[in-house]
Amino acid sequence: MTNGSAPIDTRVEIVTPENIAFQYRLAGPFRRLGAYILDVLIRVTVVFILFWVFLLATGFAGIPGFGFGIWLIVWFVMDWFYGGVFEAFWNGQTPGKHMLRLRVVSDEGQPINGLQAVLRNLLRTVDAMPLIQIELFQGAVIGLPSYQIGLLVSAISPRFQRLGDLAAGTMVIVEEPQRHYGMARVDEPEAIRLASEFPANLRISRGLARALSAYVQRRQTFPWQRRAEIAKHVGEPMRVKLGLPPGTSYDLLLCALYHRAFIADRVDEPAPISPFAGAGQPNEPVPVAAGNPWINVITPSEELRR
Amino acid sequence: MKVADLLETRRENWRELERACYSMDGRRLKKIGAANVQRFAALYRAACADLALADAYQLPPNTVHYLHQLVGRAHNQLYPSRSFVMAEWGREMLYDLPQRLFRDNCLRLAFVVFWGVFLACMLSAYFSPKFSDAVVGKDGKEQMEQAYEEPLSRDDANERTGMAGFYVLHNAGIGLQCFGAGLLFGVGGLFTTISNAAQLGTVFGHMATVPQRVNFFQFVTAHGPFELTGIVLGAAAGMRLGFSIIDTGGFTRAASLRRASREAMPAACASVILFCLAAVIEAFISPSSLPYAFKAFVAVLTSAMLLFYFVMLGYPRESA
Repeated sequence: MTNGSAPIDTRVEIVTPENIAFQYRLAGPFRRLGAYILDVLIRVTVVFILFWVFLLATGFAGIPGFGFGIWLIVWFVMDWFYGGVFEAFWNGQTPGKHMLRLRVVSDEGQPINGLQAVLRNLLRTVDAMPLIQIELFQGAVIGLPSYQIGLLVSAISPRFQRLGDLAAGTMVIVEEPQRHYGMARVDEPEAIRLASEFPANLRISRGLARALSAYVQRRQTFPWQRRAEIAKHVGEPMRVKLGLPPGTSYDLLLCALYHRAFIADRVDEPAPISPFAGAGQPNEPVPVAAGNPWINVITPSEELRR
Repeated sequence: MKVADLLETRRENWRELERACYSMDGRRLKKIGAANVQRFAALYRAACADLALADAYQLPPNTVHYLHQLVGRAHNQLYPSRSFVMAEWGREMLYDLPQRLFRDNCLRLAFVVFWGVFLACMLSAYFSPKFSDAVVGKDGKEQMEQAYEEPLSRDDANERTGMAGFYVLHNAGIGLQCFGAGLLFGVGGLFTTISNAAQLGTVFGHMATVPQRVNFFQFVTAHGPFELTGIVLGAAAGMRLGFSIIDTGGFTRAASLRRASREAMPAACASVILFCLAAVIEAFISPSSLPYAFKAFVAVLTSAMLLFYFVMLGYPRESA
């Protein structure tokens, strides 16, 4: 993340003109397949509906050939330029991509231009190869795209780019808003009480603070034995340093340190019993306030001091 | 200030920015209003600053992750795609493209390969029925002969429009497939070029030997120049892509492909335009009962237009 080491993950870092570095999540082939199928369905539906619209409209006027010709041209445009035109005018999204929150951006993370949008969609034919020949009924054979070349190339390329993406200099990213953020809640009154007993001049280094926040945010997913095991590595030296009696729960100790580092300074009043405390075992997941979109609710320090 | 307090103060800004992204999505700038745009920019800058200082603030990892996504989303909202600038494309198609095509080795190669194979197959088919049997087959030959039994008198505009649509869908589709196939190391482009040329050349050679030749040549004259040039142009654009992967000119292969595709795309578009024009001629003029002189005149006129485009507009300028 921000600790300097490049993430070993499907993320790419972009530096904006504002000189801010932020990361995009790359979209893998299978998420893109969903968007592709949605787009194909939309395309087929529109072409099918237009067929009847044009044919009925011009058929009543006695010139069905005219409607048929226009329809074939519409088919051609939908076949070759649907993706390109949508991505150019909808800021890198087709309806299918919009639904699955995907977006095409350039290699440098900048928005794409019309040329890139059209190019990456024209070269789709190569990525779609080889075609699987399926015989519908006598003689009528349709070729279903299997996208093996696209899958192979995007597996090799570092940013999941298919050939069309490589040629156009584009990549597909996920723009999913993430709901889990904010501070993890520390509910155990023992931890809060313990935090209030730390010396006032206790300094928590940046590295330790990061480790604490990573631990506290995930501890809910571990059973208590595992928590003790993980927390021991930091907990034991800290226990000795703070002069706490042996047998102090390492998990509680880390929670207390976290509380001190992130949520509240030393408080002299004893911490109140929170409404959730004592509701069950310590390893039970913390209840989430109903109707609150913030899964990990920020606990304002005022609430704790009251 | 503790992180929890900091988050509490920022939370509203972030959520407002998130909401603004969605409410502004897909709307025109005028509808959004200047005040909202200014507010959006301010929120975006604030979020950027928060992200930049995330380490100093000791924000928890999931919040940093959230900020990355928020800034990325807002960045894409702030800098939307530049779609098609008409003036730029006009300049590209009328000024830059012919200049490039004039000295494009791929176009020369495609031209030589296409016409070489075409003429060779035409002569072979003219002198040897066996050759045409092998290339298009007996059934194919009979079909062609039957198709041109009747003198050309298809003037029904209604039916013709339908055919125009079909020619666009079919022929321009093939042209674009040629372009894409070229990407496969240039070999795909060569293959489709040779196969197209062999088919067409053999049909021409064979049809010249049978009595239906009058109708056949009446039909193909008018749209020939545009359509055949379209095939060559599409194949050449594809080859440019394919060869750029082989001969990178000192770039990495991906960068070389990107460079070549910027140049080849307009050529592929030009070939689509040629196919569409050819489709209109093929549907309305070629099968009509108009006198042959008129059809020949159309062929001469379209050839002159192509010459003007490739030679007059393409001849290297002194200033360049």
